[in-house]
Amino acid sequence: MTLYQRRRLINLFSLGLSLAATALALSFLLWILWTLVSNGLPYLELITFTENTPPPGGQGGLANAIVGSLILTAGGILIGAPIGVLAGTYLSEFGRNSKLAALVRFVNDVLLSAPSIVIGVFVYEILVRRVGHFSAYAGAVALALIVIPIVVRTSEDMLRLVSDTMREAAAALGAPQWKIITHIVYRAARPGILTGILLAVARISGETAPLLFTALNNQFWSTRLGQPIANLPVVIFQFAMSPYDDWQHLAWAGALIITFSILILNIVARSFLRTRMSRY
Amino acid sequence: MDTMYRQTTESEQGPAQPAAAVTEMTAPAARAGKVRVKDLDFFYGRFQALHGISLEIPANRVTAFIGPSGCGKSTLLRTFNRIYELYPDQAARGEVWLDGENILERRYNLNRLRAKIGMVFQKPTPFPMSIYDNIAFGVSLYEKLPRRRMDEWVEWALDKAGLWGEVKDKLRQEGTQLSGGQQQRLCIARAVAVKPEVLLLDEPASALDPISTAMIEELIDELKADYTIAIVTHNMQQAARVSDYTAFLYLGKLIEFDTSENIFTKPRETATEEYITGRYG
Amino acid sequence: MLISSQRDEAGLQTTGNPTTTSSVEGDVVRDHLFRGATAFSGAAVFALVLAIVLSLAVGASLALHKFGVGFVSSTDWNPVTETFGAAAPIYGTLVTALIAMLLGIPISFGVALFITEVAPGWLKRPIGTAVELLAAVPSIIYGMWGLFVFAPWFAEHLQPWMQTYLGPLPYVGALFQGPPMGIGMLSAGLILAIMVVPFITAVMRDVFATVPTELRESAYGLGATTWEVVRYVVVPYTRTGALGGIMLGLGRALGETMAVTFVIGNAQRISTSLFMPGNTISSALANEFNEAVGDVYTSSLLALGLILFTITFVVLAGARLLLGRIGGRI
Repeated sequence: MTLYQRRRLINLFSLGLSLAATALALSFLLWILWTLVSNGLPYLELITFTENTPPPGGQGGLANAIVGSLILTAGGILIGAPIGVLAGTYLSEFGRNSKLAALVRFVNDVLLSAPSIVIGVFVYEILVRRVGHFSAYAGAVALALIVIPIVVRTSEDMLRLVSDTMREAAAALGAPQWKIITHIVYRAARPGILTGILLAVARISGETAPLLFTALNNQFWSTRLGQPIANLPVVIFQFAMSPYDDWQHLAWAGALIITFSILILNIVARSFLRTRMSRY
Repeated sequence: MDTMYRQTTESEQGPAQPAAAVTEMTAPAARAGKVRVKDLDFFYGRFQALHGISLEIPANRVTAFIGPSGCGKSTLLRTFNRIYELYPDQAARGEVWLDGENILERRYNLNRLRAKIGMVFQKPTPFPMSIYDNIAFGVSLYEKLPRRRMDEWVEWALDKAGLWGEVKDKLRQEGTQLSGGQQQRLCIARAVAVKPEVLLLDEPASALDPISTAMIEELIDELKADYTIAIVTHNMQQAARVSDYTAFLYLGKLIEFDTSENIFTKPRETATEEYITGRYG
Repeated sequence: MLISSQRDEAGLQTTGNPTTTSSVEGDVVRDHLFRGATAFSGAAVFALVLAIVLSLAVGASLALHKFGVGFVSSTDWNPVTETFGAAAPIYGTLVTALIAMLLGIPISFGVALFITEVAPGWLKRPIGTAVELLAAVPSIIYGMWGLFVFAPWFAEHLQPWMQTYLGPLPYVGALFQGPPMGIGMLSAGLILAIMVVPFITAVMRDVFATVPTELRESAYGLGATTWEVVRYVVVPYTRTGALGGIMLGLGRALGETMAVTFVIGNAQRISTSLFMPGNTISSALANEFNEAVGDVYTSSLLALGLILFTITFVVLAGARLLLGRIGGRI
């Protein structure tokens, strides 16, 4: 074998391995999705959306858990997104060169990947233990703490994509800084910031660990924010780990709902960003 | 208020016979300076970009700033409306007088300054909003107008920038959907809509095609009846075509300032001559 | 009124409404308020981390005082006698993360290589998106799939094979002993490996893209094969960034909770064999925190949380230092 042939062979072999790695990674995605469809679809019925979680052996659905999840997610976003956008604004508009900004940026990047269970424990310590019981509030706060770093990061990145000339042009007209940012820069970066928020929604709608010690669960329909509230991830966790067939079936149905919602949200958010953010 | 009024009326005769005006004045100082710069230094952090610039920009004339890139011509323009203050490490030292007040003084109100001195940038910068709102945004910074009056105002500004005919049927469209040349005229309209007295143009045509450039140059010629215009350009033909006065800067220093005719036909400094004949830069 | 002071040639009469000065002052106030609000939010992010560390440290102090250094070295975890040692979950956390890295790094490298160098243009985006979706699948779904689908398959097909062929090997053989149950530390590590792939891949992809085109082209110009360009140009050039991506993945693996909780078996002990059930810090918290009775028990769990947060913080901080600002999308 000539040296040339040897090199070609090594090349083909390595690239073949990279193809195999890709195929392997994607096959796991397909395997998981297929598992969800085959186990969840048969139990996805109308009553899944209209009935509350049943006692073992009973008929029921996930209505209270779905509504609870929507409330918690909305709460998490309502608390977390404004703080995140403002902090991102600080990093991009005011603190580009300041030491505090560098520190905040660093800490935020670390928080972005910090274990979510620790967030749950933390919120338990400061909210649940103080008040004496689990509550939807605590759950929403825990989710908000996961939202914040995501939104801070994307907001800063997206605000920085807005060219400085745009800011200069607005300043040259005599606009005060708050108006430049809120009327011009935010508007230019809006698709990007919204994408970040959408991705945050996707991320927290599947989060389980931070809710275990905060929102807990509720067998019944409840929209009271001071009380424990049912939510899909924790219901799925409890039902999947239970010995009852009906509960396990509902867990699969819930898993199917949650995963496909999140995947669709992700795809929509990313394509939205691509089509809308390219202009600025 | 009175002075402003007088100046603008005075300008009525100005553009009527520009050629005569130039021959009348052998030196820039012969005409009242709208913006008077005295001993101006400028710093980017530790780096000094301008060294003791002094000159007077005549009212209702076009003054061009030329020089090789990095010579400080844009920097000089950016001190006139203190836009550099957006960046904390940039600082100006010296005096810039506008209507008898030193605008570099801290207490000089920035909003007021920028209402009086408008600016158009190298890259067209339409705001991410409709054509109409692009104009209305600047106006509403200073006046709360009823809808109908705002409509008139927008039309007036777009007309002034020679854009009304092209966009009157699509005022609700995003400004970003216009062509490059139209976007730049939209930016001029936006600056004009605030009714400034001075217009700063920072290489306004360098990103445009030849036809759009010609339109901008024509527009500049029309606008000087009402505004004092300072334009930075790297294109010497353009400077010769549109300007009444030209300042040549090199390495942060003002080398020569005279009527454009003199600068381009009989420059006094050899550096100027070398630059305009294309020997460097 | 600023702009109405001028002659109005279009015949626009401007209302002489002299409010500008006050509105300018209002703008100064609003500028300050707005800036203050953003700076406050920024500071809140920083304060959040301090608050997490502080509250965990305060909560953990009882256990740390009571058990001292023994807390991290003892494997005794007994709620009845109220003696707690965290060695088993710490061991489980490190071992599962190590398995995840051993398998996840080569796979991620392969995927990043495929996307940046091998795949035709039209295929890059769909594959990139699909890999990103792996990261979007919630951790609890990995857990369910792992427990109900992967573990039985693993016990039936892979574990017996491993026992036969890897079991007899010296040293490493001990890792593959015991009944093939499907669940256990090895399964947890394998599932973590799949979960960290999208994170490491994303960073590697980004840093591979930072290699200057001229560098790449000059290597190709010498007649190098794609693999040789990657091996001798891309990898050396991006080593720091890629390492940052790996650290990022490691941080994720260390803190991952739900997937691990489903499949690791939740046993507070250290076993030589990777087939045996174990525990990680996060799964111990998920399982026991709500049921913990008594101050010492709770405090010990909080101490676990503090240890986990500290370890991941150090790893993730390292990742960020290596990465600068290039990589690390969500």
